[in-house]
This record gives sequence, structure tokens and C-alpha cells, in this order.
Amino acid sequence: MTNASGVVYDVHVSVGGKDQPARDPAAPWYSDFREALAAISERYLDGQATSFRLRGRDQIDIVVGDETRVAARAGRTPRYQFFIDPLATDDATATGGASAPWPTLAAALAGLDQMHLRGELAPAAGERVRLTVREPFSTSPVDARKRRTEGAAKVVLLCMTLMLVVPLIAILTYLFVKAAPALTPSFILENPRNNMKAGGIWAPLVGTFYLVFFSLLAAAPVGILAGVYLNEYARDNWFTRIINLAVVNLAGVPSIVHALFGVGAFVVFADFGESVLAASLTLAVMTLPVIIASTKEALHSVPRSFREACWNMGASRWQTIRTIVLPNSISGILTGVILQVSRAAGETAPILFTGAAFAVTVPNEGWESYFPYGLYDSVMALSYHLHIMLTQVPPASQAEIAAGTAMPLEHLQYGTAVVLIGLVLAVNSFSIGLRLYLRMRKRW
Amino acid sequence: MPTSSTDPHKPAVREHRLGAWLSWLGEAVIEQVIWLCGWSAILFVFAIFFFIFREGAPFLIHELDLREFFTTSNWEPTASNPRFGILGLLAGTLSVTALAMALAVPLGLGAAVFVSEFAGKRTKETLKIVIELLAAIPSIVWGFIAVMVLNPIIIALTGAPIGLSVLNAGIVLALMSVPVIVSVSEDSLRAVPDSYREAALALGASRWEIVYRVLFPAAKSGLLAAVLLGVGRAIGETMAVLMATGHANQIPGSLLDQVQTLTATIAAELGETVQGDEHYRVLFVIGIVLFVIVFIVNLTADLVVKGIRGKAE
Repeated sequence: MTNASGVVYDVHVSVGGKDQPARDPAAPWYSDFREALAAISERYLDGQATSFRLRGRDQIDIVVGDETRVAARAGRTPRYQFFIDPLATDDATATGGASAPWPTLAAALAGLDQMHLRGELAPAAGERVRLTVREPFSTSPVDARKRRTEGAAKVVLLCMTLMLVVPLIAILTYLFVKAAPALTPSFILENPRNNMKAGGIWAPLVGTFYLVFFSLLAAAPVGILAGVYLNEYARDNWFTRIINLAVVNLAGVPSIVHALFGVGAFVVFADFGESVLAASLTLAVMTLPVIIASTKEALHSVPRSFREACWNMGASRWQTIRTIVLPNSISGILTGVILQVSRAAGETAPILFTGAAFAVTVPNEGWESYFPYGLYDSVMALSYHLHIMLTQVPPASQAEIAAGTAMPLEHLQYGTAVVLIGLVLAVNSFSIGLRLYLRMRKRW
Repeated sequence: MPTSSTDPHKPAVREHRLGAWLSWLGEAVIEQVIWLCGWSAILFVFAIFFFIFREGAPFLIHELDLREFFTTSNWEPTASNPRFGILGLLAGTLSVTALAMALAVPLGLGAAVFVSEFAGKRTKETLKIVIELLAAIPSIVWGFIAVMVLNPIIIALTGAPIGLSVLNAGIVLALMSVPVIVSVSEDSLRAVPDSYREAALALGASRWEIVYRVLFPAAKSGLLAAVLLGVGRAIGETMAVLMATGHANQIPGSLLDQVQTLTATIAAELGETVQGDEHYRVLFVIGIVLFVIVFIVNLTADLVVKGIRGKAE
């Protein structure tokens, strides 16, 4: 329905930067300016439920059009601009302009009405009258969107992190709970009996200690000295770069390839056979690169000024390292080495064919039960023991359980797994605790 | 001239000279030892390749049919007419690694960003410790978890007859690779200079915008290296996939199919071979293939990191 001059009015509300008609789309445009004002008043002043509350920077546009021309888009500067500022106090002199804004929406509508009646406000087709709520310290739509995205991102990332943490804790709790009935002192101190169907895990536990001890005996000195070379002596040329590349590659070699190397080099070539010696040396080669890398890092963290002070005193390079650099970095080196202890204890693949055996006859009592293996003997290891518990040991029948010659297989499996996890986690926690304690004590 | 303490007629300088010479000698010896140890990494990389090659060479040089080896999936080493086609094994390794990376990369990068940028100090320490503990779990224990815990869950959730499959192995491998990805990504995010963050803040960026528009491009090389290291870890994993994949040689058609990986094949079959026979040597050849694949991945990681850094400078 148009009036005599063919001009019709519409009301758009811009909230958060988005322009929306505030009129029911089915209804015709308003035929009169006052009708548009009345619609605004009805929507925002009469307490009716509206979907948007006006906040700072929000705008109410009165859009003027006719049959031939639809109003210009919201982006263009409107023909008439008025402001509402809730902080304005001067009611009487308010004109709605930028310097004297109306204090409330009601005052604004009244003012607009007055201006229209006086003839000062006569927008033609294609023009807009814009009413902006100006609150300088409110969040602009751009800011509000950024805050929303940031909040959403934080929640999403937290969920991703929890997706890693929660399954871990759940699985560990489940394992510990299921293993609880099997964890008795006799489980740990007894040797396996009856083809692994009963008894404890003492011999595999001792075997693991053997393997870790000998592998560290071989790897730690070489690794630490190699780290010393790389950080203190090596010059920054292509050769050093190749060594660093070699360390990274050695660290990435699959564990089964280490096993193949161990078989090829120690079992066959050096003719150690499947023994503690071969398995320890294989584990040593496996843990070597990480010891080198962590030593390098620990040495790097000692400030250069320490070394320079020594050089000023006339100390040679090795004297500097021996007296100042190594003692100050021993914490980091130790942490790295201890972490490899846990890794060597847990790995199965490298020892599969180089020394681990299904069953080794070991003394059951006396002091020899603490030293059951010779250097050239095959060894039972905790990680390998878990592997055969899962794959080769048959479940115990009811008769066997009743007779006491076998334990329920699940008990043995969960018990072994939990002892292994417990050992590894204990060593790692010790290393982490050591690192935190030493970081606290650092004096530079 | 100062005299020695024992004999007033002998000059003290000679005593000093002997002590000095001994300590010089000791130091020269130690430094030689250190220099030798510095070579150890290169030495062992070559040694690994050499000894594996030595065991696998007879088959590799005389009897290997390269086309049959790489393009067929008939893996029948124990048949009367042995066939050695590793396509199925390659497909197994590839499918499990791909699934693991699809899960681990978003989770790992998301966790790294959270720990590095959004977490408070206490939360950050706790999360870092938890992720380190995640890394500490031995792979055989992950295999144990795959068989005893994930297996029934997958059977219950998907109705598959066997819960050991690409899906199971992918989940386990993802959980194993995540700590690597998180720690290397976190290091590289931390290495971005604070001035970048401060400049972005001065321009009015929110924390997420800083991460998305400043940190990711700046730490691109480190993040890529983290992902590649995770890939290397997943490819090389043995015991966990041995248990989790169900160990059946086929090219998988769905996530619930059983597969067999290169690493698990070696682990499962080497014990049954006689040292020196054909099967034994073929397994060493597979070891060579694995070594080369991981070497290429690591080399790519190194070159990519250097390359991106080179372009940026």
C-alpha cells in the first residue's frame, strides 16, 4: 500500500553487523513515516518479546523505497544519521546529532517524530534514516565475534586434549583394578612354574634388570661422550650436520630393525648366540641416539659465560668440560639416561630374537636366584613374558585351578602387564621428579 | 732457580714438566675417545644397514624378483613353492599408519596448541607430565590393551566378529604417536619469538587468531617435522600392531578388516626360520625395506624443515 507520493518505509535492524528486516515479511511496507516509528516503538518499547536486544553499535534503519527503487544497501552511508547515547544527560537540548545524542530510544522516536512533522526530516526513496545506539566501550560486533571464536576454540582444543588424557587414565585404572587380585608378594618373588601357567614373575623381572643394566653400561658412556663431542668439540660444518642427521635417523629406526641388526651383528657375526650380551648390546644401540640428544641438550643449557670464564683462566677445553660443564649439566644428562632405562625395560622387539627366551631354567632359591643368568645365557624378560602370556600360554582349566597347579590366565596376564607398567611409570616418574627438583635448584 | 722438594740439587721444573706431560697425555687420550664416540651414531647407522644387508643379500641379489616382490600380495614363505609378495603387507602398514595419522595429527596438534597457548601454568605442567607418561607406556602393553580392552569395545560398538582390525591398530598407534607429535609441535610453537605474539596482540588479535594466523605459519616447519616423526613412529611400531591388527595378510577393504604389517611379519616369522635359509633372508630384505622407508621419511623431515626455514630466510 503506498501513499500518494508512492514512498514506502521499512525498518531494518542491524545487530552485530548483520542487517535484518524487523517487519514481518508478509506484511506490506509501512506507508507512513509515523507508522514506521510506531512499529519501532511497538517492538522495542512496549515490552514485547523480541529476538534481539539493542546493544551498543546496534542500528535501527528506516529504509525508504518506492515501487521502482529499493532502498540502498546498509553499507552505504545513510542520508540521515542520529545517535542514542545512554550516557547523555542533557535531555532538553538533545537533537540526535553526534554531539547531542538522545538519551533513550523513546526520546529518539519522539525527536524523530518532531523533526518529521516540522518537515526537517523527509527522506526520499532510496535513502535511509539510521539510528545508532552509541556506547563507546561496548564490544563491537567484530570483537564479539572474535571472543566467541576464541571461546569456542578453547573448548574444542580442551576436548581434544581430554580425548588423549581421559582414555589413558581410564585404561590404566581398568588395568590396575583387574590386576589387583593377582598382585601378591609371592607373584613378584616367585619364579614361573608349570610352563608359565602358575607362579610369579621373579625370573623375568631379574632378567629385565640384567638387560637394562648391561645395555646402559654400554650405551651411557658412549652416548654421553658423543653428546659432549657434538656440543663442545664439533664445528658447524656439513660433517657435523651428517652426524646430527645420523642421530635422528638412528632414533627413528624401527625396533624390529634393531632386532634384525642384533641378530645379524651380535648373534651371528660376533657369535654371541642368543644371550644377555647380544640382547643388551642391541638395546644399547637402540637407546644410544636419545642419550646423545638429551646430553647435547643438557650441555647446551649450560650458559656460554661459564665456559668463557674457564677459558679466561687458561683452562683447556677438556678441563672446562670436566670441571664446570659436565657437573652443571649432570641433571639433564641423568634425566635422559633414566628415561632410557624405562624404555629399555619395556621394549620387546629388540630382544625377541637376540636373547629373550620362553623359559630358562633358573635356580629357585638361595642367593643364586638373584643372579640367575650368565652373560651368554638366554634370558627371560618381563616384556617378552607378557608377550608369551598373551600368545602362547593356554588358559588354565578348572581342574588345574582347583588343584593349584595353574592360575587363571587373566590373573597372570593382567598381573604381568601391571608390574611392567608400574615399573616403567615408576622409573619415568622418578625421572620427571628429578627433573623438576633440579630445575627448582638451578642457580642461573 | 727453584729447586725440587726432594732433592735440593734437582730443578723443580722437571717435576712440573712430568705432571704436565701426563695430564696433557691424559687429555689427548680422552679427547680422542670423545672424537671416536662422536662418530658412533654414523657408525651404527651404517652398521645397521650393513649387517641387515649382509644377512639379506643372498636373496636380494640372486633370487629376488622385484616385480613379484612389490606388486603381488602372495606371501607364502612356508609353502612348497614359496611366494614372496609383500603388497598385502605394504597395504597393511600403509592403512594402519594412515588411520593413525588421521587420528593423531589433529588431536596432537590441538593438544599441543592448547598446552602451549591456552593452558594455565599448573594445567600446562600437569598435561605435559600426563603426555610424557602416555609416551612411556611400552608397546607390548599397548598390544595388551588392544587385545584385552579395545577388542571387546570395538566388538560391542560395531558388531564386528573380531575386534582386531585396522581400526583397533589405528587407534592404538594414534595414542602411541601423539606424544611425539605433541612434544615436537610444542617445542616448535614455543620457539616462535614472543615478538610475533606481541605484535599480533597489539593489532587486536584474539588468542585463537594469534594461533591460527601467526603461530601456525611461523612454526610450519616444526609442525611438519612433528607430523613426519609421528609417521615414522607409526610405521616402525611392531609389538602393538602385531596384536592389534589380527595378523591376516590381505588388502583391507574396510576399517574392520584384519591386516598384517611389515614389522609384525618379521616379528612373527623370524623365530620359525632357520638361520641362513630363504625365508630368513627374505625377512631381512623386508627389514631393509623398512629401514629405507623410515630413512626416507626422516630425511624428508630434515630437508623439509631446512627447506622451509631456508625459504623463510
